[in-house]
Parts: sequence; C-alpha cells; structure tokens
Amino acid sequence: MKRISKKLVALTMAGALVLAACGGDDGGSDAPSTDAPSTEAPSTDAPTDSDAPTDTEAPAPAGWTVDTSACVDPDAANAPIEGTIKIGSAMPLSGGPAAAAFAPVKDGFEAFVQWANETGFLGDLQMEIQIEDDQYNKDLTPGAVEKLLDANADIFSGIIGSPNNAAVRDLLNEECYPQLLALTGSPEWGRAEDYPWTTGILIPYTVEAKAYAAAIADTYGEGANVALFTVNNEFGQVYVEAFKDVAPEYGINIVDEQTNEATDSAPPTAQVNSIASNAPDAIMAVPLGAACAAFLGEVANAKAANPGWEPQIYLTATCASSLILGLAGAAADGLYTANNLVDVLDPESAAIPSVAEYISYMQSIGKDDIKTTAAAGWHTAEMTALIIKQALESPEGLTRASIINAARNFDQVGSLTRPNVRMKMNGLDDQFIAESLQVIQYDAETKLFTDIGELITEFES
Amino acid sequence: MWKIKESSPQHWALRVIGVAVIAIAVVWVPTQMSTSRIGQFSDAFVLIIAAMSLNLVLGFTGMISIGHSAFFGVGGYTAAILIKDHGWSPGYTFYAAAVVAFVVGCVIALPALRIKGIYLALVTLAVAVLFPVLVKWKKLVWLTDGAKGIDSVRYDELPVWPILGELKGRDGRAVFAYWLAFIVLVITYLVCRGLVKSRFGRSLVAIRDNETAASVMGVNLTATKVLVFGISASLCSLAGVLSTLRTGVVTPEGQYVTLLGSIVFLLIMVVGGAGTLWGPIVGGLVYVWLDNTTRGFGSNSDGIIGFLFGWADQSPATLILGLALIIIMFAAPFGLVGLIKKIWVKFVVVVPRPAGTPVAMTGDESGR
Repeated sequence: MKRISKKLVALTMAGALVLAACGGDDGGSDAPSTDAPSTEAPSTDAPTDSDAPTDTEAPAPAGWTVDTSACVDPDAANAPIEGTIKIGSAMPLSGGPAAAAFAPVKDGFEAFVQWANETGFLGDLQMEIQIEDDQYNKDLTPGAVEKLLDANADIFSGIIGSPNNAAVRDLLNEECYPQLLALTGSPEWGRAEDYPWTTGILIPYTVEAKAYAAAIADTYGEGANVALFTVNNEFGQVYVEAFKDVAPEYGINIVDEQTNEATDSAPPTAQVNSIASNAPDAIMAVPLGAACAAFLGEVANAKAANPGWEPQIYLTATCASSLILGLAGAAADGLYTANNLVDVLDPESAAIPSVAEYISYMQSIGKDDIKTTAAAGWHTAEMTALIIKQALESPEGLTRASIINAARNFDQVGSLTRPNVRMKMNGLDDQFIAESLQVIQYDAETKLFTDIGELITEFES
Repeated sequence: MWKIKESSPQHWALRVIGVAVIAIAVVWVPTQMSTSRIGQFSDAFVLIIAAMSLNLVLGFTGMISIGHSAFFGVGGYTAAILIKDHGWSPGYTFYAAAVVAFVVGCVIALPALRIKGIYLALVTLAVAVLFPVLVKWKKLVWLTDGAKGIDSVRYDELPVWPILGELKGRDGRAVFAYWLAFIVLVITYLVCRGLVKSRFGRSLVAIRDNETAASVMGVNLTATKVLVFGISASLCSLAGVLSTLRTGVVTPEGQYVTLLGSIVFLLIMVVGGAGTLWGPIVGGLVYVWLDNTTRGFGSNSDGIIGFLFGWADQSPATLILGLALIIIMFAAPFGLVGLIKKIWVKFVVVVPRPAGTPVAMTGDESGR
C-alpha cells in the first residue's frame, strides 16, 4: 500500500511536469512592441562645447515613443517619479579577477551620483544608487535585479557583461523598466524592435572592428594580410565575426586566426608563434584583462625572433587603459587602439574644465588612484543623469516611459567624452549611443596616447 | 533525554510534525516572502538538485566525480536548443535533457569500470574542462551558437496550473519558477530515496565500502556503476534546465557549466553531509543564504564586518564565505546533517525496532 502511494506521489509529480510541459508557449514574444518607427529626428540641438557636462537643452520633441500598453503594469510605467529616483545596477564586486577590474566602475558611478546630488544637477530631484554584486556570474544577475526591484528601483543602468544583461533583459522589458546603458559593446543592445527598454553605452564591437579594418586598409591598401588573436568567449566571437564581415569590403586577407581562453593564465606563446609564421602586416587583437599585456609581451618576443617583421598591432579598446598597457611596458609601444573618452592622465585632456572637475572631485573623495578606471563609471552615471534630466523636462514629466523615450531621442556630450564626440540615439534609426571614435596610438615612454587621423564619425547612423 | 520506539505513535507524531513544518515552510515562501527571496529559494533548489545528483554517485557509491557541471550544461543546452531552434515547449525539454544526459553519463561512466579514486576524479575533471571547450568548438557553433551562447530561453506565456491559477509579471514568474523547481526537487529526492533504500542502493553502498566484497556478494559492478552514473547525470541535467529557464541564457562561460560549478555542487554536498539524503538540501539552503548574505556586505560595510574587513580594497564577500564554510566544516566534520543528528540525539533517541520484529506488529512496511 505504502509503495503504491509512493508511486502515486511520483506519478503526481511527473504529471505536474507534464502540466508544465503543456504550458502555453506560442512562440510569440512577450517583449512590448514599439510604435511604428519614427522618421522624425530629435532636435535636441545640444551644444558642441565638449567641456560642459550640464548642457541639456529644451525637452525633446515627440520622436520615437515606447508603447507601454503591453507592459505588465502600464500605469506604473507612466507613473510620475518624484523626489528621488532610484537607480539600480549589478556589477562584479567580489569573487574573482572581474571584480578587481570592474569594482572601480562602481566607485566612478557612485562618485558622479554623489557629485550630482551635491551640485543640484537634477534640481530638486535626488538620485539614489544601489549596486548589487553579481560576481560577473549571469546566474546571479536575475537575483540581484529582483532584489533591486523589491527595493523599488525605478530604472537600471550600467549593468556589466553581455550574458548578465541578457539574463535580465526579458524580465525588465516585460516589466517595462529602463535597462539603460549596458556596459558591454555587444550589438545585441541595438534591438529596439524586440527590446525597446534596453540600450548599451559602449562603442559596439562591430563599429570598432570596422574602424580598425578601415585604418589597416588606409595603411596597406588592397590586399593587407591580417592575423586575428581573440579571447574565446562571447566578446571575442562577436568581434571576430564583425571583422571577418568587413574584411572583404576593405580588401583584407585574414591569414591566421588564434584564440586563447579567458581563464588562461599562461602567455599565448604558441598562438603568437603561429601568427608570426604567417608574417601578417597587422594583427587585430582582442584579448581580455591580463592577457592584453601577456599578448603584447609575446608579440615582442616573436618580433625579436623574426627580424624584419614589424606588424602593426590593433588592440581592442577594452585593453586601452594606461594601467593595462603599463604592465606590458615597451612591448605596448606603437600599438593602435580606439576610444571615445579622453585619457584623464593626459595633461592636455586634464586641463579641460569638465575633466579637471572630475579629477578634482575624485581627489576630494580619496579616489584619485582609480580615476582612470573609474572614468567609465562616471561617464555612464553622467549619461544616465542627462537622460533623466531630459525626461524630467519633457512634457510627460519624469516617468519610466519618458526616461526610455529620452534615452532613445538623445543627443548630448559628456564631461569625459572626446571633443566633438556626441552621444546620441534616434529611435529605431540610431540604436547605439556611441558610434564616434578616435583611433589612437600608445607611446610606452610617456604612457600617453596620440590621436591618429580625424575623429571617425562615419558610423553614426 | 526522551526515548521513543521506532514506528511508535510518538515516533509517527514527530514525523508528522516534521512534515507539517516543512509543508508550511514550502507554502510560506511563495505566499509571504518577497519576489527576490522566492528567487533565492529557486536558485537554492537548482543547486540542491545538482548536489543531490552528485551525492548519488559520490556520497553513496564512492565514485569521485568532478564532472557534474558538464551534465548541468548538457541539460541547459538541450533545453535551450530545443526551445529556441525547434520551438519546443520548455516543459518537455526536461524529459529530453534527462534522456540525453543519461546517455552521456553512461558513456562517461565507462572509464569508471576500470579506474577509481583519484584517477576517476581526473577523468571527470577532464570532462568538466572539456565541456565548455566543446560547446565553443567551431564545428558545433551551428548547434550551440559558440561562445555567444543562447539567450531568451523562457516560457513566453506561463502555463496555467490548477491551484496557482493565472500567473503574470515578475511575481508570477518567480512563483512559477519556485514551484517548478520544487517539483523537480521532490522528484529528484524521491528518485534518490527510492534508489538508496532499495536493493540497488545497498549495492551502491557495498561498492563504496568494499568493491571486491560487493562483487563477491553478487553485485554486478558494471551495470550498477554505469546505471548510477547515468541516473545521476540525468538528474543533474534537470537542474541545468531549470537554471536556463530561470536566467533565459546559457553560455559556455556560465559559472555552473564550468569546473567551478562542479566545485560548488561538491561543496554543497559536503557542507550538508555526504551520503545522506538531506545533506544536499541543508547544504544548498545554507550555501545560497551565505552567498547572498556575504555579497550584500560590500566593501564599505559598517559594524563588525567593517571592523574586521575594512582593510580590504574590495568586497570581502568571497573571503567571508570561505571562512564561514571552513568554520562549518570544523564544527561539523560530517556535514550539517551530521551535526543536527548529533544534537538531536541529546534530546530524543529513537530506539530501533528489534531485528526480526514482524512488520505487522509495528505497521511499518519499509523494513528499515
């Protein structure tokens, strides 16, 4: 009898699973649909002055607007936000190398929010920031975001990592919470038709790859031989696919492709030797973290072993920090990379008033030692605040919906953006906020970057 | 100290109270707690299922496996591929994942027929290391999407279950995920319990304690080892499916599909109590609670945490978690379940039924 009852229990449980299996899955998307794409460009007419961080203009006219009718709670998406706006984010703050690399981003983000509240950047509106630790583990990101939602976060900004953002994208779009300025360059953040509430902030890897391909073609003309060295993860794969897509357009021959694992601690000796055996004109390198310096060191060794081989090295902007390149020493000399923010260590840039204010503020709060790595956090927070400001001044007032509308009809400059770089989005026509970039060359002796050519704006939609 | 006879009315009363407390707690969580807390329990259930599956192989059979993250990944990827590429309803993918993982588990068990101990551990370690590499292999990109992984794997519309009714929004999704994970957990527990308490289970323990003696006593070593590895892989894959449905994303870099996942499962099993049915459950709940609590401390905590760890530049979460686990293992070398049992017998002792007592006299058919 007891055995039969146990079987019955098991059968019931299995039946419940069948119920789950029979659950409605019509293949449709839960993501709220957007209105028809607007062809009307926003006319924010932001100033061209790069040193003015507070240069919001008149409220954006009705351009692209989000459809809130499919939200779980449309009223909440359109409810006014008053007094304090709570910004949530998830970043790696503990648990491994990612924490060491990204924790300063949190400090930069928090520093801007503190500065903005002190200076009345948003008038009477105060910003509150709560950053949860997801250890760069996408399995922990949903829990972190749910905790923030329980804590009444109004919007999300600066979540780090492509899988981490992807892990909460469906949730936040279904609930209609702005998921602003994801800190990854994946082209996935340009899918406003499917995910209207999600945007990125970094230069898309596809755009960066195109810029390097164009620079190589300029130097070597038709038929340049290029080798690829990439980290074997999502970041590297997207990059390689983008570069290979544009290579034929610029007459580039890819002569070798090598990868290393993100977890590899050994230098990529075999990979670089393989590249050297093909003697390419240039190497397009997309390593990650400490592997940036290790790769450069191995290339220097290979050059010493192969006299006469002097390839140009194009290194992803992710590695383009004086701190990382400083580890490579002379091996980093002469490499090319790209950026859309100023180098705060460069005295010329540091003299720009808005940059000087940033440096001064970081000094005042005892964070001067991380001012280079914290710049990304400050920049992200500043863009978030500018979006909020634009939404605040819109006819609809400050709501979650008006915030995403402001983000997608945006044209501003930041205190740390390079001169003439505009951060802009335009509905479905331009879904990436950062598409202008400057190719730069590193000088290992001065540990500074030199601009190469003009600012590239041709990829702006 | 209170002495009661096994299967006596007092013993049954204690059992009923225990079941009632657990039932109340299980219902309390999704009805009274916040959405994020419900999510934490769902996360715990996923890890408990994985640890239970490992317990079957390691705790009861003594076969060291550090490759269970691969079975977790097999489950996650099977679900993602079937849902995204073939339009399957998520619920059916549990069955498919279990079958696929069973076959994979049986194949991986083959080396276990010839090797054991640390050597088997090394083989399974290789499996754990190989799995993410295999997923990223260029020739499999058409199937796995390579390093990018597969995203947006979820129930587009939640099924309507009789008691739960229509569930909507994130609260509804959290409640649904909780009950789904709970049901899979109960099934896993029943399967493990059924196996362990059966003749097959006694074969497992015999293999663990003395393989040669087990063989002499008639245990079919080959069949038993392959079967238990296959079942264990199958159960672990269910945790992988749940995890994928929870996050909607599966990538080869995901923590639980890499070697780190195997270590987490092992940790939960050992902290809870290896070779006990309740060990992974207690271990999983404690681990997830500790992990969530320590991650909340941050680098600028006040109070005792700030006093003790204020010197750290970064969040001391991992350090505190590690220390806490060391302290637990020091205080409870046989796991938390072992510790609980040790304390319990100071208050209540259940006197076993004398050997040979007819079942009818006690009303207990289990033969325990």
